[in-house]
Amino acid sequence: MSSDFIKILGGTVHDPANGIDGEVRDLWLAGGKVVAAPTDPSVQAVRVIDARGLVVMPGGVDMHCHIVGSKVNTARIMCPERSREAAPVARTATTRSGTMGSVPSSFATGYRYAGLGYTTAFDAAIAPLAARHAHLELADTPCVDRGFYTLVGNNHYVMRSIQKGEPEKLKSFIAWLLGAAGAYATKLVNPGGVELWKQGRDGNARDLDTTVDGFGVTPGQIIGSVARAVDELRLPHPVHVHCNNLGLPGNWTTTLETMKRLDGHRGHLTHIQFHSYAGGDGDEDTFGSKVAPLAEYVNAHPNLTVDVGQVVFGRTMSMTADGPVGHYLSRLQGSKWYSSDIEQEAGCGIVPIEYKNTSAVHAWQWAIGLEWYLMVDDPWRVTMSTDHPNGGSFLAYPQIIRLLMDRTFRQNVFQALPAPVREKSALKDLDREYTLNEIAIITRAGPARMLGLKDKGHLGVGADADITIYAPASDAETMFQMPRHVIKAGRLLVEDGEIREPLMGKTLHVAPDYDREVEADIQAWFEDSYSIRWRNYPVDLKAQTEAEVVA
Amino acid sequence: MPLIFRLASAIGSPVRLGGITPDRLRDMSLVEIARLEVLQGNVSVALGDLFRVSGDGADGRLTFEGDLAGVHEIGRGMTGGEIVVRGSAGRHVGGGMTGGAIHIHGDAGDWLGCEMKGGLIHVRGSAGDHTGAAYAGSRRGMTEGTILIEGSVGSHLGASMRRGLVAVGGDCRDVAGLEMIAGSILVFGACGRAPGAGMRRGTIGVFGMSPVPLLPTFRAAGRFRPLFLRLIRRDLERLGFPPRDELSGEELVLYHGDLVGLGKGEVWCREDGGTP
Repeated sequence: MSSDFIKILGGTVHDPANGIDGEVRDLWLAGGKVVAAPTDPSVQAVRVIDARGLVVMPGGVDMHCHIVGSKVNTARIMCPERSREAAPVARTATTRSGTMGSVPSSFATGYRYAGLGYTTAFDAAIAPLAARHAHLELADTPCVDRGFYTLVGNNHYVMRSIQKGEPEKLKSFIAWLLGAAGAYATKLVNPGGVELWKQGRDGNARDLDTTVDGFGVTPGQIIGSVARAVDELRLPHPVHVHCNNLGLPGNWTTTLETMKRLDGHRGHLTHIQFHSYAGGDGDEDTFGSKVAPLAEYVNAHPNLTVDVGQVVFGRTMSMTADGPVGHYLSRLQGSKWYSSDIEQEAGCGIVPIEYKNTSAVHAWQWAIGLEWYLMVDDPWRVTMSTDHPNGGSFLAYPQIIRLLMDRTFRQNVFQALPAPVREKSALKDLDREYTLNEIAIITRAGPARMLGLKDKGHLGVGADADITIYAPASDAETMFQMPRHVIKAGRLLVEDGEIREPLMGKTLHVAPDYDREVEADIQAWFEDSYSIRWRNYPVDLKAQTEAEVVA
Repeated sequence: MPLIFRLASAIGSPVRLGGITPDRLRDMSLVEIARLEVLQGNVSVALGDLFRVSGDGADGRLTFEGDLAGVHEIGRGMTGGEIVVRGSAGRHVGGGMTGGAIHIHGDAGDWLGCEMKGGLIHVRGSAGDHTGAAYAGSRRGMTEGTILIEGSVGSHLGASMRRGLVAVGGDCRDVAGLEMIAGSILVFGACGRAPGAGMRRGTIGVFGMSPVPLLPTFRAAGRFRPLFLRLIRRDLERLGFPPRDELSGEELVLYHGDLVGLGKGEVWCREDGGTP
């Protein structure tokens, strides 16, 4: 083993999960893991990475992005002009070529995540029927360990078992579904609302007590029942909730109600920025922020975590399993629109969009995102995300880090926004600045903990040797834009912005146990409803990719 | 004296000349120019290995000689100056150009003048599909400038064009002016199916056939002697397009459409019976 040692010498280590806040120390790596320093002083490392004067953190963890699957490919096909207009990624001796634009190609996505010091990424919305495609594409997304959450919030079997009052059956179904899809976690997207949208024009769930036709259940029941089932199954990540009424003025009451309906169960509320709006009486002037009361509720309830879904000004692509949102945006923007109905499982809407700093609504969205980072007291409870590419590209993370660490920079951008936002947003009085350690929490330690990834997001003995080394710079954006070294599973992935070894990561998923007797009931429903055969549905992960069961 | 590129021998894989524009070469020596790299297939090759380069580009004029049907993107993105092709040219000639003139003394391939934003393209022979059109996914085709084709063109002529003038001496194939937003297309020969399908605004003239195979969503609006065609005729002659008597002020039939779109487009035909 001794010949395998790599030593990271004398870096300033930020490892908040282990209480290390900027201490100069050495790290030893072997076998893809962080190990204790060898006790035998004669042991030499085969490679020493000199990190003196540099900042050492665990590799970044993006817990909510959209990088694989049918929606991503539809978006690429729908907007070839975006790929065409962006500078292409050239082939090198070690890496493949690719395209950028709002939705980069698979290999380019992996390279760019690595280039930013991210070593883990989770796609947040894969319909179980699209799981096979998603896994194949994940296997072509290099440099990161990866996985996805699968959609259950509008699944017919889920709604049926809630309607019949069969919580044990629901639990078994969710466990079976996660295993069949090779997914990491459960995802609710506009629970019940997408089913109503699929049933008829302008159908949607207006609030948590709207009855879903044909199933006699409400969004509130779906949220509570699934959250409970996930907790009882002891899944590593709680139910991942995209609330009802995304993007609509006045939707904050729905969001607050969703938090309450979790009824003390763990819950992660995603891209919370899109769910924190005041207003709603048709008057644009009433649109605004309701972060304060929501953040207050989150602060007081430790069962809740959030990621932000920060909006970044510029062109991007909205892709969501929330079909009615796609329709709403396409009418708002007068742009291309894709909508699909995924059988018994989900929906999908895709629309190219542009966030402009001259638009009061978009400026509000930008400000509301930052309010969330600054108004949640405990950084372990809030995670950085742009909901890539919905709010903006993951490539904007360094810019967001600077907005959080540098209030002068933040105020300069803020002062250029339309007057209503400048006058009313709480941002004008928020002078909190994130420390490096807090940035390390919201970009790696926090999301890893929320995901229940015990070997990621920290640098203690036994952790995966996923490590990013940054050179301090005059501003945080420059510093986080191009790490000096990125190490993945103990191997040097990136050096000075160039991919050295584009190694493939592994797919992380769960395979919870369940009551096998329920399978017959699921099969009967499945054979009666689906367009494919029962035996073809489960994904054989081993045949497709390197995979690892977590928890 | 122009800068002359003579194709050294028959080329195998297609060559892409995007970026080889008069303004870029103006201040370069012949040696520097010969060293410029372009893509042939998927490999970079020196311009000097493909062409014998002579003359002087200081006055912003380039001449290409030989059979350039496999040489694509000639004049792509040019901003000024003049390119003369003595022979046929490949695809994407003048794509996205903003100014200057391209003269082709032969045929041009598909995607001629796509998304051009200004300038002139004059083809003495024929051109392919998607002339003056939008590339896949784009909202707009050509937004300014003039394309003159003395021969015939393929389908999707001026699809999604926003402004500018296209004149075709011969025939065009299906869906000329598909979803055009504005601008003018004049076809002196016959046209294929459904000219102006989905057009919002803009003007299409079809002078070489009757009846014109319009969609049923076009409506006859009357007979007129449009003066503006005489003005266009004067412009065309000034640019060196062969004189056309069709534009001398004779009475024409006007159709409005496409009524499934905005319906503010107009199609001019020589005789009644435009709708099928």
